[in-house]
Amino acid sequence: MTKEGVQGATEDEQQAQSKKALKKQQKEAEKAAKKAEKQAKLATEQQSTEEDDFAKDRYGVSAMVQSQEKLDRALVRVQDLTPEKADQLIWLRARIHTSRAKGKQCFLVLRQQQFNVQALVAVGDCASKQMVKFAANITKESIVDVEALVRKVEQKIESCSQQDVELHIERIFVISQAEPRLPLQLDDAVRPDGEGEEEGRATVNQDTKLDNRVIDLRTTTSQAIFRLQSGVCQLFRDTLTKKGFVEIQTPKIISAASEGGANVFTVSYFKTSAYLAQSPQLYKQMCICADFDKVFCVGPVFRAEDSNTHRHLTEFVGLDIELAFNYHYHEVIDSITDTMVQIFKGLRDNFQTEIQTVNKQFPSEPFKFLEPTLRLEYTEAVAMLREAGVEMGDEDDLSTPNEKLLGRLVKEKYDTDFYVLDKYPLAVRPFYTMPDPNNPKYSNSYDMFMRGEEILSGAQRIHNAQLLTERAIHHQIDLEKIKAYIDSFRYGAPPHGGGGIGLERVCMLYLGLHNVRQTSMFPRDPKRLTP
Amino acid sequence: MVIRKAGSEVTAVSSCLTGSCCCCLSTSSSQRTSVSRNFFFFIIIIIVFICLSLFRLSSSMSMYQVKPICGGDIKIDLPTCMYKLANIHAQQGTGCNPEHALQNGEVDPAVKALEARQNEIMRKLYELKAAVEGLAKTVTTPDADLDLTVSSSLSSQSSSSTTFKGTTDLDTQLGKDHGALRDIVVNANPAHPPLTLLVLHSLLSQRYRVLSTVHVHSSVAGVPPQLLSCLGPRHADSYARQMFQLGFTLIWKDVPKVEMKFSIQNMCPIKGEANVARFLFKLLAPYPSDPALATLVDSWVDTAFFQLLDGSAKERAAVLRALNSALGRNPWLAGPDVSLADITCYCCVLQSGSVSSAPANVQRWLKSCENLGYFGPAKLLLQ
Repeated sequence: MTKEGVQGATEDEQQAQSKKALKKQQKEAEKAAKKAEKQAKLATEQQSTEEDDFAKDRYGVSAMVQSQEKLDRALVRVQDLTPEKADQLIWLRARIHTSRAKGKQCFLVLRQQQFNVQALVAVGDCASKQMVKFAANITKESIVDVEALVRKVEQKIESCSQQDVELHIERIFVISQAEPRLPLQLDDAVRPDGEGEEEGRATVNQDTKLDNRVIDLRTTTSQAIFRLQSGVCQLFRDTLTKKGFVEIQTPKIISAASEGGANVFTVSYFKTSAYLAQSPQLYKQMCICADFDKVFCVGPVFRAEDSNTHRHLTEFVGLDIELAFNYHYHEVIDSITDTMVQIFKGLRDNFQTEIQTVNKQFPSEPFKFLEPTLRLEYTEAVAMLREAGVEMGDEDDLSTPNEKLLGRLVKEKYDTDFYVLDKYPLAVRPFYTMPDPNNPKYSNSYDMFMRGEEILSGAQRIHNAQLLTERAIHHQIDLEKIKAYIDSFRYGAPPHGGGGIGLERVCMLYLGLHNVRQTSMFPRDPKRLTP
Repeated sequence: MVIRKAGSEVTAVSSCLTGSCCCCLSTSSSQRTSVSRNFFFFIIIIIVFICLSLFRLSSSMSMYQVKPICGGDIKIDLPTCMYKLANIHAQQGTGCNPEHALQNGEVDPAVKALEARQNEIMRKLYELKAAVEGLAKTVTTPDADLDLTVSSSLSSQSSSSTTFKGTTDLDTQLGKDHGALRDIVVNANPAHPPLTLLVLHSLLSQRYRVLSTVHVHSSVAGVPPQLLSCLGPRHADSYARQMFQLGFTLIWKDVPKVEMKFSIQNMCPIKGEANVARFLFKLLAPYPSDPALATLVDSWVDTAFFQLLDGSAKERAAVLRALNSALGRNPWLAGPDVSLADITCYCCVLQSGSVSSAPANVQRWLKSCENLGYFGPAKLLLQ
């Protein structure tokens, strides 16, 4: 009984559904018919208009560039459009940033990287009504070739980077068309955080930006960030090369975990498994033992830490330095800090526009530093923190909030965003750290901080196999696993030290950004493997 | 500056007090009620006292006399920070006779006692005022022992000489040592090198183990090499900060005025080269305990910076004349020995470029300053 009843009910439902579906279909069919009619009408209209369009060959969609012909046409860069170019007829390739039709004219903003310029198509001698309409209908982000007359403007155009000129377009051809629906609007993506909320305008959240990284990277902010990042790399290489360092390449697939052993990615390696290098430290040290004296390397570093914080990535670019010193490991600190200061100076002097651009969206105080770099000792830091009311033991490691607080205190007193904290307690450092000769509680190790966040951790390494074995046993490390490491110091090793810096972190902290994903082009974190 | 203001406020309060007390005392014999009302309006301490004495008068008329519960002469160690009040139980012995006082129109002994107490309070207020003024002249750390400073400036009437061998202790000046280097940070503009501070630094390094470091802040593009080495060669032990008693960190920075930072927790930055110089000098020797001499030192320090260094040519000439006449009477500007006044004036005369135009006495004094041998850093920078 009940079964039948149920069946009946379902049949009824199905019937009802099919009825609905029928109606729907009918409606859709009607719609389609209307649409077709409209389109036909449009087409005829277009045809009719095209017939009497005198500027027909002055606009259109170009055939896909398949290298059919090699035009000898000089293209002008948008950034070069200055009043000196006034009244010249030029060709230019750029993206449509925005377009706004207004009766018989259409205003376009053409963008090339972080530069943009206003352009105008107006009905006149060389532009027909249809051409204006065509220009207005080009989708945003499409790439166009434009022939235009450069004109000086009387009133500065505030919204564009080229404020003194505008373009009067004579020909416009679409080279590559963008889809009409963009996953995010560039203007929304560069809007400062607070501003959008007030005016009821959209801002784009981090995940949307990262999912559509190609478009997000086109924004002025992203352009500036990655230009600056490239600058950091360049300055790092230049400074160290000038100091007599040798750039080395180290393997990223390794057989054993180089540091502690935790936090490494395991990859299958034919019939066995291997690990992704957590740091090039072992190889840097081996190069020192092989008499390279001073080495650095720039390369990816992998950390299998499942931490979703603003400053952790699972893959990042490491800038690693290792050098032999003569008598005191402060020679190493001096060398590294001087490199950092040279980078900061280079950025301050050569990347001011980029810094300003990023500041527009993410306002922050300019990065301040001292030359030579301020060096404080751990006990001083502890005393400063205690004075500020923090309770901590002499040999406790700095917690992240304490690190930040210390950064603020140091900034308050010395007005520097970059400093070195020296002489960490031995207990909180890895086994290969050289103990302090005067006080067994401390060690010859140091951290460097930018805006209160750690960017580099380094130390004088133990270069004596016997002491290294002792320390490893003290830390209860399996000697078999680090045999190769210890063995490399058996045949005479110079005293040496070094450290590694995260490129993304340096950029983030230099610019005062709040998330390391903003300074990683295609970030990798525990929750993101694409794009 | 703030301390100075506080000092002047004390003056205002005390002067208003004196006026009110005088008028009260003249009318007190005829109108006792109005006396108490007036007092009520002016100062709380005195009204409490009046109330107590009135209560005592009336009570002794209408009540039985009772023997005091405890003897009036118990010795108690009272803290120095409070005013002394007479023991109310010990009043019988003072010979206060209420009937007598009421019968004839003479001044009530109680009022007399009151007057005496009043004078005592006034005297203490004046002393306090003098002490505060003394404090205002010296720039002390907020956590320095206030009681000690006050009592020392009050007790010692004889003016001790301002030698740099005076007893100063880093702990009392800078606060307790927490096991970390006590670092004095001085921000200075490379366009106006603080010569006085450099001289004081070299004096400090003779006295203590000073870790001196020079930094360039990112707000200035570059500084001449002699400014980088102005604190002398690097100390051989500079790798171990813990081995030093005092840190002196000079940062060349784009600042309008010299500023000094020491403890960011309980001390604001000290601004102006003169004030920083006062602070540093206190680490070398205490300020002269004679208020007049301390004021003289202070006024010379201010004159040096405001009129000699920043002043117009006219002002400068006037200062040079004043220096000349002062140095005609004494070998040094303030007191029998070299003081901060001499150091600052010397540096400012040098820096303002008025050595050649200086009159005879000043020339002689400049020579004797140079003979002291610790103006090396200042001379070196000016070359």
